[in-house]
Amino acid sequence: MTAVTEKVPERPPVKGTEDSGLLRFVKKPIVARLLFPTLVIALWVFVDSLEISRVFPAPDRVLGFMWDELRLETLARTNLYETLGISLLRLFAGFAVSMVVGTAIGLGMGLSKSVDAFFHDWVMAILAMPALVWALFLGLVFGFGSTGPVLATILAGIPFVIINVREGVRNTPRELFDMASAFDVPRNRMTRHLLIPSLMPFMFAAARYGFSVGWKGLVLAEVFASDRGMGWMIKFWYDAHRSFAVVGYAFFFVIFAFFLEKFVFDKLYARAFKWRPAVGAIELVEEEIQESFIDALDPEGAQTLPDRDRLGDN
Amino acid sequence: MAQIKIDNLRKEFGVGDDKVVALQNVNLEIEGDVFVSIVGPSGCGKSTLLNILSGIETPSSGKVEITQDRHDANPGYVFQAARLLPWRTVMDNLLFVQKDPDSEEARARCQKYLDMVHLGDKGDKYPGELSGGMQQRVGIARAFAVEPDVLFMDEPFSHLDAITARSLRRELHEMWAATGKTILFVTHDVGEAVELSNRILVFAKGGKLEDDINVELPFPRDAANEEVAVAKAQVLKKFEDLDLVAT
Ligand SMILES: Nc1ncnc2c1ncn2[C@@H]1O[C@H](COP(=O)(O)OP(=O)(O)O)[C@@H](O)[C@H]1O
Ligand SMILES: [Mg+2]
Repeated sequence: MTAVTEKVPERPPVKGTEDSGLLRFVKKPIVARLLFPTLVIALWVFVDSLEISRVFPAPDRVLGFMWDELRLETLARTNLYETLGISLLRLFAGFAVSMVVGTAIGLGMGLSKSVDAFFHDWVMAILAMPALVWALFLGLVFGFGSTGPVLATILAGIPFVIINVREGVRNTPRELFDMASAFDVPRNRMTRHLLIPSLMPFMFAAARYGFSVGWKGLVLAEVFASDRGMGWMIKFWYDAHRSFAVVGYAFFFVIFAFFLEKFVFDKLYARAFKWRPAVGAIELVEEEIQESFIDALDPEGAQTLPDRDRLGDN
Repeated sequence: MAQIKIDNLRKEFGVGDDKVVALQNVNLEIEGDVFVSIVGPSGCGKSTLLNILSGIETPSSGKVEITQDRHDANPGYVFQAARLLPWRTVMDNLLFVQKDPDSEEARARCQKYLDMVHLGDKGDKYPGELSGGMQQRVGIARAFAVEPDVLFMDEPFSHLDAITARSLRRELHEMWAATGKTILFVTHDVGEAVELSNRILVFAKGGKLEDDINVELPFPRDAANEEVAVAKAQVLKKFEDLDLVAT
């Protein structure tokens, strides 16, 4: 037993290799995380100060633009909130359809070989098509309404939903279903406590992809197949040669996406996966080992002698 | 009293060149509160037999019948790996397989068997927060908590370290003595079989039942006891005679 418990002698700290106060500060995760945008902004200000180009979006102009937009002072025909509202409505509509239809198709493909064979090539074809082609095509067919952008969102996102759900079904834990059927667990209870939870990680992946890829499809479609929305607005400022406005609008969405991630997805994720082992597991393992030792050394159990000997050999 | 009848059972997997005969010509009767061990080299159909008896698999031909006083018997199953739902707490895992999971009686019953495996205070933990040995004990409590007439156990201790396995074996035997039921216990450890069981079924490659041995020594059996050691040696000798050792 000595070999196991023997501690590696701690090396005395060598002078000069200890982290200085500054380095330790920088290594904190929160500081490290903030360091990146700080550096980007510094670089941005620096490049701006070189005055290479007249249309380079100066940081102060971008901020000024964003501030004006927030206060509803805009030259465009819809203000920030209307624009965001229109795009988000289209995004959520398209996303909802992707999730519902994609989940249904994905379940079918995972469960049945013939359903899989039927949809397989279509899914691959949609996946292979550049979003730009959808945008142009939908613009031609549906004109400047909401139909084109919503369809673009669906077409961009749905293959990812389908593929993730299908993989989820294919990876359902067979041995847990066998366990449930050995105990004659009724089917609806199996669905609720076994099938759905085992699909959850795949549904989350489907939602995240469906959302972010759907967004990209939407913005592109709004450029070519709409006269409203975030994509159209970015195009509007592009046509007006206002690079700071293009960047400003992009930032609005980045900020929105950040909040969505932080306050919706992360919260949902934490709720759905609170069973994932975190802290405390190690403690319990140690407790178990201790219990076993007590059992092993139990004087009434003469049968434990060989094991005690074996432990001594280690 | 539980009764298991196996009549000319055969099980094949796959077709054509991939065909595997997992079990053949198995005839067997088991009755009463006996502890039956099933031993044999790996791949000889031990798990398949339990899976057919518990309804996970269906026979290719032949018949199996498990009754309790002429009704269908209530089965319990302990697997090689604990097979717990990782997203449900220990208590909810036990309730998951109960007939009446929402009742107070079911909860009390589950708590009783958790106490019996010394995990009474772990009901609200998730399986991932427990060690392998504790998870296996949850699996055992789950099977006992359905108060089965027949309990199937498929190498339940083979993944565990020797010390944990030993203490679980002792717990299992005490629970069997206290609750009284038919246990079918698969193992590839002859020593384990001799220490635990009244009856040992020896299977050979190809899924044939080769031998049926009664072990008539009083419980609890102590590995260090001479009679137990002799019985072990005898069963091992039979293994050698049947050429089953090299696995
Ligand atoms: N689901 C299955 N599909 C195909 N072959 C199987 C399946 N289950 C078991 N087998 C085969 O049947 C034989 C017996 O397997 P098993 O009952 O698991 O053996 P044991 O538990 O004694 O090790 C093996 O040859 C195994 O490969
Ligand atoms: Mg097996």
